[in-house]
Amino acid sequence: MRIKANLKLADVIQMNYMLIPVINRFGINLGFGDKTVAEVCKENQVDLNFFLQLVNAYHDQDYFPKEELQTIPVKNIISYLKMTHSSYLDITLNEIEQKIQDLADENPADLKYIELIRNFFEGYKNELTEHIMHEENVVFPYIITINEIIVNESINTTNKEIFDSFSIEEYADGHDNVEEKLMDLRTIMIKYLTPPSNVTLYHSIIQDLFKLEEDLNYHSRIEDKVLIPKMILMEKSVKNLF
Amino acid sequence: MSKTSILIAEKSCLIRKGLRSLLQKIHNVELLPTIVSEEDVCDFVNQNQPDILIVNPDMLQHNCIDLKKKLSLSAKMSLVLISDQKKIQDKHKADGYIHYMDGQNSILELIQKLINDKNQNSTEGKSNETLSAREKNILKHIALGLTNKEIADQLFISIHTVVTHRKNITQKLGIKSVSGLTVYAILNNLISMDEVK
Repeated sequence: MRIKANLKLADVIQMNYMLIPVINRFGINLGFGDKTVAEVCKENQVDLNFFLQLVNAYHDQDYFPKEELQTIPVKNIISYLKMTHSSYLDITLNEIEQKIQDLADENPADLKYIELIRNFFEGYKNELTEHIMHEENVVFPYIITINEIIVNESINTTNKEIFDSFSIEEYADGHDNVEEKLMDLRTIMIKYLTPPSNVTLYHSIIQDLFKLEEDLNYHSRIEDKVLIPKMILMEKSVKNLF
Repeated sequence: MSKTSILIAEKSCLIRKGLRSLLQKIHNVELLPTIVSEEDVCDFVNQNQPDILIVNPDMLQHNCIDLKKKLSLSAKMSLVLISDQKKIQDKHKADGYIHYMDGQNSILELIQKLINDKNQNSTEGKSNETLSAREKNILKHIALGLTNKEIADQLFISIHTVVTHRKNITQKLGIKSVSGLTVYAILNNLISMDEVK
């Protein structure tokens, strides 16, 4: 079912709880009573069109309104992606890390295996952090610069330098494989490890890994299908401009 | 085991969505975005090379036998025809047929069978999921952090052979990254924890 502006946001969330972290990234908190999607967006100064497109793309795998998403200002997309990044770095990864730590504290007999998982997860965390930092420090500033050039229709030495220093192709090339380790970790936990004494906690970690993977997939879908094609067009028009 | 990708090309949205949600019940399947218009079929198939193509013959502009020939030369694709015509089997040749009136189980069984056949072909001659002594040895070297070149030199084999072994190991274990393989090696006592780095 398509999520529309006049639906109650509470009903939307009841329908799909995976949207809770998504609305949270827009700065929307729970407790909105009977307000509609449109009302809540207005209250929180969220662009209604962008919100609807994004939430629908999350909600229904078959729905990918490429054209509509392409119309959304670059700034909005980037600020959403940044919110997503910080939710991974500040919340999700730490939560999983904490759970692994709890497992280790629980029973010293399990320590050897837990240590393996922990090291592995640390490795993944570093990789993801590095990937995100690269996006925030190199890719996003680049995109914002390109956008400025197009909006102002002028190029100067500073932003020319940035434009020449990078291309979105580079970004698209290096954009796979971050999830490889994550998938390996859950495969190992499901197939090859003897579960520790606290199985409930162990299972909950595995479920967290699945959820993180699912969320990351949606996240990269926005980057790969919206941001990158949009950037390719923008790069072309900058080249044509000058 | 790698995922089996399935592409559905069918005009009716009810059938398309219904089939898609049905196939989601099958483990290890990747459903590619569905195709709605006939113009897209060939391009999309060539681009994405699905393992299984489920298509309504109405969507095919040319004779479907030609399509099968043309497409399955490059990729080992299974062709499944979906239709409401009863005598579809007589008209076109394909690896499987789904009729609009087919029940859930017969559809799932058909697709599952195609997947099994495909997986059997790709692992033919190999003892299924367990590693051979040679592969274990290679895995041990990978876990110790050696490069393909170093492994090749130490074991007096070509880099190409190392790469092939690596591919088979990854396929059998379902683990791709070096750090993942290292954890597996430790768990199975191929190396000890102190040996790493």
